[in-house]
Amino acid sequence: MIPADEEALLPAYVRRIPAGGYRSLNPLTKLTLAAVSAIVAFGVRGWTGPAVVLAVVLSSALVAGVLRRMAPFALATLPLVASILLVNTFLYPNAHDVIANLGPLSPTWTGATAALQATLRVVAFGLSAALFALTTPIDDLLGELERRGVGRRGSFIVGSALGAIPRTVERAREVVDAQRSRGMDTEGRLWRRFRGLVPLIGPVLFGALAEVEERTMALEARAFTAPGRRTILRALPDSGWQRAARWLLLVGSIAAVVVSLAGVVKLP
Amino acid sequence: MGLLTRWVRRQFTTRVIVLMPVAIAINIVLGYTVQNVLKLPIYVDSIGTILVGCVAGPLPGAITGILSNLIWQYAPGIGGSSIGPFAVTAGVIGFMAGIWGYLGVFRSRPASGLRLIVPAAIAVAIIVVLAARMYTIPQYNDPNAGNYPNWVYAAIVVIGASASVAVALFVYLRRDAAGAWVAVAGALTGVVAAIVSAPIAAVVYGGVTGSGTDFVVAALRQGGADVYNASLGQGLLSDPIDKTITSFVVFLILAGVSSRFLARFPLGDRLVHVDAEPARSPEPTGTPSDS
Repeated sequence: MIPADEEALLPAYVRRIPAGGYRSLNPLTKLTLAAVSAIVAFGVRGWTGPAVVLAVVLSSALVAGVLRRMAPFALATLPLVASILLVNTFLYPNAHDVIANLGPLSPTWTGATAALQATLRVVAFGLSAALFALTTPIDDLLGELERRGVGRRGSFIVGSALGAIPRTVERAREVVDAQRSRGMDTEGRLWRRFRGLVPLIGPVLFGALAEVEERTMALEARAFTAPGRRTILRALPDSGWQRAARWLLLVGSIAAVVVSLAGVVKLP
Repeated sequence: MGLLTRWVRRQFTTRVIVLMPVAIAINIVLGYTVQNVLKLPIYVDSIGTILVGCVAGPLPGAITGILSNLIWQYAPGIGGSSIGPFAVTAGVIGFMAGIWGYLGVFRSRPASGLRLIVPAAIAVAIIVVLAARMYTIPQYNDPNAGNYPNWVYAAIVVIGASASVAVALFVYLRRDAAGAWVAVAGALTGVVAAIVSAPIAAVVYGGVTGSGTDFVVAALRQGGADVYNASLGQGLLSDPIDKTITSFVVFLILAGVSSRFLARFPLGDRLVHVDAEPARSPEPTGTPSDS
């Protein structure tokens, strides 16, 4: 093990293997947990599924020490949650148990229940995605997947897409600035903004396509299509119990969804 | 093993592998801008998916769509709140784009006279039939499924009419019969996308998605539609428009880049217009391979 003060001198690619309760799990285990959270949160109807997922996600986040950093992710679900609450509470079809009559609007208990359940599902799923994103360095996940046979094409597509997003945002900003400097109006009323899309989309798309040619050549020149597998120098630890847990979680979550949908066990 | 593996492998040349991340980034950035910043009641998050589908084939198209939504959901910083489960829809859109690519829908077809009028007439007819089908679909008039407010029917008529005029004008002004087929392909993709996404929106999110399209859902609910039918109705209004616009954007992009660039993709021979007049030398052989 390298002492912490020497770690700062190491180049970026020799990072320490993450330690600590949740963080030290194999990336594949975390990916499985994220998938299982989504399956259970959406598949097990009623309160139980989403509530269980939310509890597991929050306690994992506490263990991993990212609880505070999850706040922006929770905030990001606000527009959706607001929309769910408003539309369902006030406009739930065929619901007659009115809470109160507010002029033309009549919120219903059925609608409010459905809205709160949908909100819980969305928040549980959103936070499980946040937990995965905050605790799993993308390089680790891609390396691990490649080691398990996903292939360098797959990991290139995902890794390169993540790198291309900020580049595209930056390019879009440059294009908007350039168009503004020659008098385009990008702020103001809806129609103005709508018209502003055309001189934005064109240059962004053509610029992005122009780099495809160069990058193809660069990859071909570096034996991208060569047969054989790459050697992974930094293998992340995995263990027997994690492997067992992954399978158990997947099978268990699917079974839970089936049981819930078939109505064998009545869950709240 | 032979045939299927070859078919799969031919769609994933290095060039396609390089194009896919670029397309994913385009989907996410444009979709985010339109839905979350401008709050318009359309999506514009499938330009990259349809582009990859029609230059490379159904499988790269489907994978581009699915990965776009998953990365959008899980990537740190840009995490979308509701997009992940719609990966299914995006995959279907990409797959269909691949089929349109095989059929050569996006190839420029300069024409004049009858060869221009007939496709345009067929496209307009198909748009009218689709609009009429939406107007008279039985579940819209079924009291148990819920009625739509009257403006929906007016909207269908207005949209159908303006789409017909726009497509006819596009075909006529560019003297290019391809516009007609692009419109039909886009509208059909939109209808399928709406049918695939309605149950997802209804089951997962109680019918709304937190973007500009929610106003449409709320209006349909106000008219008495139930959760599923309000989402389906919103989808059938938004998706065909969105996918037709997207298809035209892709068509214009393909018309704007060089033939040399296009010809190197797996479906390049179906995208590049070859002048029919000179005695055609032997067909350009199969797929231009770049490996």
